Amino acid sequence: MNVISFLIGVCAVVSAICVVGLRNPLYSAFALVINLLAMAGLYAALDAHFLAVSQVVVYAGAIMVLVLFVLMLLNLKSESGRRLGFVRSAVALVIGCVVVMSALPPVVSHFSTMPQSTLSDNMRNSVGTVKAVGQELYTNYVAQFELASLVLLIGIVGAVMLAKRKSVTLAPRAGGLIGGSK
Amino acid sequence: MFELFVLLLKVGFVLNTALVLGSLCTWLERKGSALIQDRVGANRAGAFVDSDRWYLKPFLPLVRMMGWLGVINTLLCDSLKGLWKEDFVPEGTSKFLHAVAPIIAVMPIMLAFAVLPLAPDFTVFGYYIHPRVAPIDAGLLFVLAMGSVAVYGVAIAGWTGNNKFSLLGSLRAAAQMISYELPMGMVFVALIVVYGTLDVYSIVEQQGELLWGFVPKWGVLVQPVGFVVLLLAGMAETKRGPFDLPEAESELAAGYFTEYSGMKFLLFWLGEFCEIALFALLLALLFFGGWQIPWVRLPEGVWWAALIGHVVLMTKVVFFCLLQIVIRWTLPRFRYDQLMNLGWKMLLPVSLLNLVITAIVKVLA
Repeated sequence: MNVISFLIGVCAVVSAICVVGLRNPLYSAFALVINLLAMAGLYAALDAHFLAVSQVVVYAGAIMVLVLFVLMLLNLKSESGRRLGFVRSAVALVIGCVVVMSALPPVVSHFSTMPQSTLSDNMRNSVGTVKAVGQELYTNYVAQFELASLVLLIGIVGAVMLAKRKSVTLAPRAGGLIGGSK
Repeated sequence: MFELFVLLLKVGFVLNTALVLGSLCTWLERKGSALIQDRVGANRAGAFVDSDRWYLKPFLPLVRMMGWLGVINTLLCDSLKGLWKEDFVPEGTSKFLHAVAPIIAVMPIMLAFAVLPLAPDFTVFGYYIHPRVAPIDAGLLFVLAMGSVAVYGVAIAGWTGNNKFSLLGSLRAAAQMISYELPMGMVFVALIVVYGTLDVYSIVEQQGELLWGFVPKWGVLVQPVGFVVLLLAGMAETKRGPFDLPEAESELAAGYFTEYSGMKFLLFWLGEFCEIALFALLLALLFFGGWQIPWVRLPEGVWWAALIGHVVLMTKVVFFCLLQIVIRWTLPRFRYDQLMNLGWKMLLPVSLLNLVITAIVKVLA
């Protein structure tokens, strides 16, 4: 199991570098998809099947498809060859190193003191992780869960409002490209 | 080591089942469409084979019959033709993505078979065997997740076609697949409410029980609305039947796979037929009792009972494959706005209402 999670981890890191490094935005988006799938694989390797599957459904399956389509429709070309100069790359490197160095000690110390498994007893003892996640979500975190759904509802209402305003000025033609002949 | 061997055996078996069902659907589609349209259909290749060799003689009647039935034509000739055809790649797109798109389109569908049980558990030579590859407890959700990953194959295929028809086709396909995933998910949630689990095996086991002592507790009787919604959403998800807007040949040439030829095109085809088989399997498992025969209790854990269960399940699966093919060849295509209205204004509210009613019944009962 360790070998598999190590391989998935390598895949996640490489794809994450590709997201930033590739010149074509479309390829970056694909790399991000691979990264999200690799994260799902890591969750699955940790026996959090429900989390892994929801990661695939929500991020890889829904959100990234929309991002990809926007990129495809814009038909963006690769970034032009202009690269950062020496000074700028040096500054970026220094900033990056500082951020990593300041974030590393707490992470490392946390790892060394972390118990073998940080899951609560409730989760570790349960056979089905779906059940455990549901129980946690609807007992200990019910307020946060409801708040999150409220935020999503606001998002939906906002999207509908935006779409409505457009359709007044831009009525669809009868028998347009998508509509077919009536 | 032995466990790995058993696992590989199971992977081979499940993959084989998917491919056999897929190729069976190819044949059913070719001959079935001919039957529906009052044609003869594929009937030439192999039909007039003759030979004087004595060792070939006993096989000739069989080969001739398969030729007349079009089996050789659809399964052997078509795939061989696909293999030898020129592999055309349009200019100005990524060759890599063009090659990888059919694989991405097919792979999730094959993966979805991994969580679906094909027979009841059984013991053979003292080993207890679960006839499914990945017994994860979020089985139903996994199928949904694979369905949403399959969108990428279509999207990339349309984009690498590098023409407007392909892109429009893939846009339509992606919008359609994402839209119809919602009612499908709602049906799954209603099923989860009824059976209290996401594990497909457990759902099938529970369908063997009797409701009020005499009616089998099949999903179709407990969730009739859910069945209709899943059938429609499943057909839309496979991009076939009256829902084949993404490849509407009268409007878009061939939609998202316009620029594909040879084996890559056949891979799309195979994926489509495997998806039909996948949905047939889902319908049989979730709504028609899987391997259960009504009012008959097979002994548990015996290999011959598992074999009978497998045959029963496959009979149901073939029936649903046939049903999908008949619907595809008898109903005219929707218009795109009708398709979207059906998805968002009909199926989604109906499935939501179904979920609410199911929940109320569950609480009251």
